[in-house]
This record gives sequence, C-alpha cells and structure tokens, in this order.
Amino acid sequence: MSEKPAGIDAFWQGVDDELASYPARPELENIPMRSTHFCDVYWVKLTSIGPYRIGGYLSIPHGDDPFPAIMQTPKYGSVNHVPDYNDRKRYVMFTLMHRGQRLTDSPWASAYPGLLTKGIASPETYIYRSIVADCLRGAEFLQSHPSVDANRLAIVGDDLALITAARRAEFSHVHAAGLLFYRLMEQREQSSAYPVEEVNDYLRGHPDQAEKVANTLAHIDPIHHVPSIKAKTLLSVGDDGKVGGPEWLQPLKDAIGGPVEEYRVTHRGGTDNDAIDAWLAQQLGREPMSKFRRTMP
Amino acid sequence: MAAPERTPETFVSSVQRPPDFDDFWKQLLAEVAEIPLDPAMEHVPMRSTDEVDVYEIHYTSLDNVRIAGWYCVPKEAYLPPPYPGLLIVPGYVSEPTLPKSWAKQGYAAIGVAPRGKLRSNQNYNPGYPGLLVDNIVDRNTYSYRGFYIDACRAVDFALTRPEIDHSRIGVHGSSQGGALTITTAALRSDAITCGAAGAPYLCGFMESAALTHSYPYEEINEYLRLYPEREQQVRETLEYFDGNNFAPMIKSPMLVYIGLEDDVCPPETGYAVYNAMTCEKVLHTWENCAHDAGAFWEMAEIEAFLAKHLNPGNPAQRAETTVG
Repeated sequence: MSEKPAGIDAFWQGVDDELASYPARPELENIPMRSTHFCDVYWVKLTSIGPYRIGGYLSIPHGDDPFPAIMQTPKYGSVNHVPDYNDRKRYVMFTLMHRGQRLTDSPWASAYPGLLTKGIASPETYIYRSIVADCLRGAEFLQSHPSVDANRLAIVGDDLALITAARRAEFSHVHAAGLLFYRLMEQREQSSAYPVEEVNDYLRGHPDQAEKVANTLAHIDPIHHVPSIKAKTLLSVGDDGKVGGPEWLQPLKDAIGGPVEEYRVTHRGGTDNDAIDAWLAQQLGREPMSKFRRTMP
Repeated sequence: MAAPERTPETFVSSVQRPPDFDDFWKQLLAEVAEIPLDPAMEHVPMRSTDEVDVYEIHYTSLDNVRIAGWYCVPKEAYLPPPYPGLLIVPGYVSEPTLPKSWAKQGYAAIGVAPRGKLRSNQNYNPGYPGLLVDNIVDRNTYSYRGFYIDACRAVDFALTRPEIDHSRIGVHGSSQGGALTITTAALRSDAITCGAAGAPYLCGFMESAALTHSYPYEEINEYLRLYPEREQQVRETLEYFDGNNFAPMIKSPMLVYIGLEDDVCPPETGYAVYNAMTCEKVLHTWENCAHDAGAFWEMAEIEAFLAKHLNPGNPAQRAETTVG
C-alpha cells in the first residue's frame, strides 16, 4: 500500500488553484456525421492547465432536458471512442480526451508506451498531474451544463474517475474498473504486461529513482483521494487472490467516503457489459439496454 | 410480428467475390515488391530485459509510406536461435503492443503498426474514427488497401532476419488484428505457417453494420446516413477488402475464436469467415462473451495452437492477453 505523501492535499489544491486561473472558454461544434435522429453530438474544446486546449465528445438527447448524464474519463491509450449509441439515447454523454491523445494531440502527442512514466521522477513534473487537471476541467464543464440533471450525474472509468469524483463531489454515481494507479508499485512486481511494464522499464534504467517514483505515484493512487467521494460507487472486482480481486481492492473499498457496491467480474464481456449497464440505468432512472441485440434487424 | 432471434451459426453471408479480386491484390503485391523494403532497427535498451532485446523497426511499404513496429527477440544467452517468427497485428483503436511476452516464449515477435497508427502516421492519418470510411467509395485509394499491405510487408521484414527460421512464421491478433491475421495469412500464404484470429473484424462489413451500432462499424452507418446515395459504391469497394474473400486463399492452419454476444464484430460474421476457410481450421465459440471473445480462457488455447505449429523454445512462459 502506498503511504499518503506529506503535502498531498496542498499539491492537489495547487492544481485546483492553477486550473481556476484559466477560464475554460468552451467551444462547441456540432458534428453532423455523429448526430442522429435522437441526439446531437458536439466536439467540445476546453482550456486546462498549461494552458492546453483539451477536447471531448458531448452528446445531448433530443427532448425535454434536463437529462441524466455520464462522463467517461479517458482510457490509457491514444483513442477514446465516440459515446456508445445506446448511451446517447438515454443520457447526456461526455467522453473526454486528455492532452496528448488523438484529437487533442496538438501541440503535444503522447507516446505509447511512454505516457505512464513521462516526468515520473517528481509529482510536479508528472504528466498525470496535468491529466487529472484535464479530467477536473471536463467534470466542471459537464456539471454546469444546463441540459444535465445534477441529481443524476455519473462518472465512469478507471482511477481517473475515482479521483475526479473525489475532487468534484457533485457526481451522484461512480463506476470504476481496471484500476492502474492503485498500488501500482506493488502491481509492477507481479506483472510484465503493458502499461504496468512501463514502470518496470523505467526503473530498470533508473534503479536509484525507485523511491521518487513511488512518491510520485502515491500522489495519483486513488486510495488517497476516495475518502472525499460522496457518490454511490460501483467497484468492478476481479478474481480471488489476484491483482484487482476482492482482497486487493478491500482497502480501497473501505476508504471510499460514500456507499459502495461490488460487481464481481465474470470475464464474459456480454454478461459484464449488461450488468454494469443495468446498474447505471437503474441508478439514473433509465431502462437497461444491451449493446448486443438479440433479434435480427 | 416479432423480429426473429439471431442464430449466428446458421448465418449465410451475402458478400460477393469480385471477378478481379485476385488480380487486384496480385497487382498490389507486385507493386510493393518493386519498392525497396529498406529495413531499419534501433535497439531500445530501456525496454529490453535480461531475456529479451527490444528494437524499434521501420520499413517501407506501398506508396513509399514508412511503417513502424516493435521487434522483440530472445537474447542468445536466454534462448539460442533460430526462432520462429510471430507477427502480432493490432486492433482498431489500440496501439501496437511490444510483444515481449511472446519473445520470452521464444518467438522473434514483431508488433506491427500499419499506416495511421502512431509512429506510422506522418504521411497518412485518417484518425479514429475515420480509418474505416476513409476513401470508402474507391478501392484504389481506400484506407485498408495500404493498411493490409503494411501488415504483409512485416513478413518481408521477418524474412530479412537471419535469427528467424523462415519456415516457421505465424500471425496473431484480435478484432482488427483478427482481420489482419486473415488477410496476411491469405496474401502471404507463401510464408505464413499458421494464424490465430480472434473476433475477426472487416468480415461482412455491410452485414456487420446492419447488426450493430457499436463502433467501429457504426462509422459505416454514420457515413451512409449522411451519404445514402453512395451505398452501391461503398459495397463495391468493401468486397475487395472483405475477410470472407481472403479466407479461401489461406493454406496454413487457422484458429478462429469468437464471442457469441460480440456487439463489435457480430458472431454471424465470425462464423461466415470461418466457413469460407478451406484450410485446416478450428473454431472456438464463447457463450456470453462479447468482443473479448473469451480471451480470459482462450489465451492458453492460442498459445498451445501457435506452439504446436511454430515450436518456440520456452512455451511454458505465459503471453500477455491479446486485446483487439
């Protein structure tokens, strides 16, 4: 378990202060190609710290607002999809790209592998300081959008969803799965799979920096953020005795400030997709919809 | 009347094979054969380990586009050469992996980054979404014309390496990687020993788009919603790129695995491409699985299949789960 770094609260308050010094200056541009008979899809641009112009897909259903809404935090990788078709029918959807990902890769394009260790020797220089700020900016945008029902506002994703929900407490629900930064220095000892292997690669070349890297990563470890979460949280839980399993996640679960439910992953994507969809739909007052249609068109 | 239930195993594809399909691809292969491969390798000490050397590679492909990749090869002190070669071909949105775990099993493994992927996108960058419909009305400039050839060209790279046993070269990937496994095994049947294709994408394009609203196929639905008058041109183009039409060209043994609730690559199209294969083949289907195609259990099957045909030096090692 990572130790809570001294000064972590001041560190993130500094990020909040820096973010507050830059107006978001949102621009929305309709994308006719992605819009349908039931929703309008926009490309949104926002200013984050740096300053850096980030972006995301915003989809708004036709009809009388406000609507329940879901923010999807960016995945680890260069591409995030347009929000799912079924989700766009039921919710305001906002899928954020952090700096360096496709569509927000100017002036800086992220490398894969490479992102996970960029600037990792210090929390001040670590790229995830800025990426968290990007997510916070995205949350502020969605939370203040007039089409969004503030009482039915979810955030889904990995560690970034938990950290964002902790620091922008207006979310009502959270679903978190596939955590990367939780106990990452322990994960790396049990895995040679990318992206975790990026940390191993880095430390093979810089063995003297293990302590510094551990300190940096502790700033992003969701366990030090989740006590501030007020939302109802659904945590996807993997197999017994494994990274991501119930024992592994128990300390995190115990630390989350709001009510927590577990979903035990079956590794059968159809079953898992439907279960998570049904949970969110129930919480947000919508009908569940399977991505897999069971009848012919 | 209620819509009929889906029965993927009985699905019959309507994809037609253009009469000049073989000529089209023969001509492209002949065209690229005239272009010097110009292979380059740069050792990457940061990513290398005690067992595996990692190289960033580049080679030249169709239209003189420079293609990147990762080459992971066992160190001689860990396992002596020769090694079987293994192409790991990428999914649609994922960036090419460093196939270190396959190298640890004893493969000289190449993670291919066809045009448009990061590090291969200086001269061609249709974006995501975008790749699937870029120039989709014209087979001579359609995105996958060069993309398929870029994966084939990785075989040529493998054939330049003295540490690789040229009689043992496999190909593996899932989703778009499953598609590239099929197209590469077909177009380079002279060199490919076996292939393992998960959740194959780019098979029955138009049928898939009709069966799902998930991306990437949704790009086709969106395109035709905006330009319905182009549907015939789109159909004509896609038949030149459809996995179903490559499948009968494969001569090597193939493993195909699919999820029976795959919303991204409908299982109907997985059955169809499997049925179109005339080579030695095996199909694994996974109930309640989606685009994961049962990878949680299937990885062991994939490793065993590849090891049976390619005979790597240390098959007891476990590979990283293949993602599409």
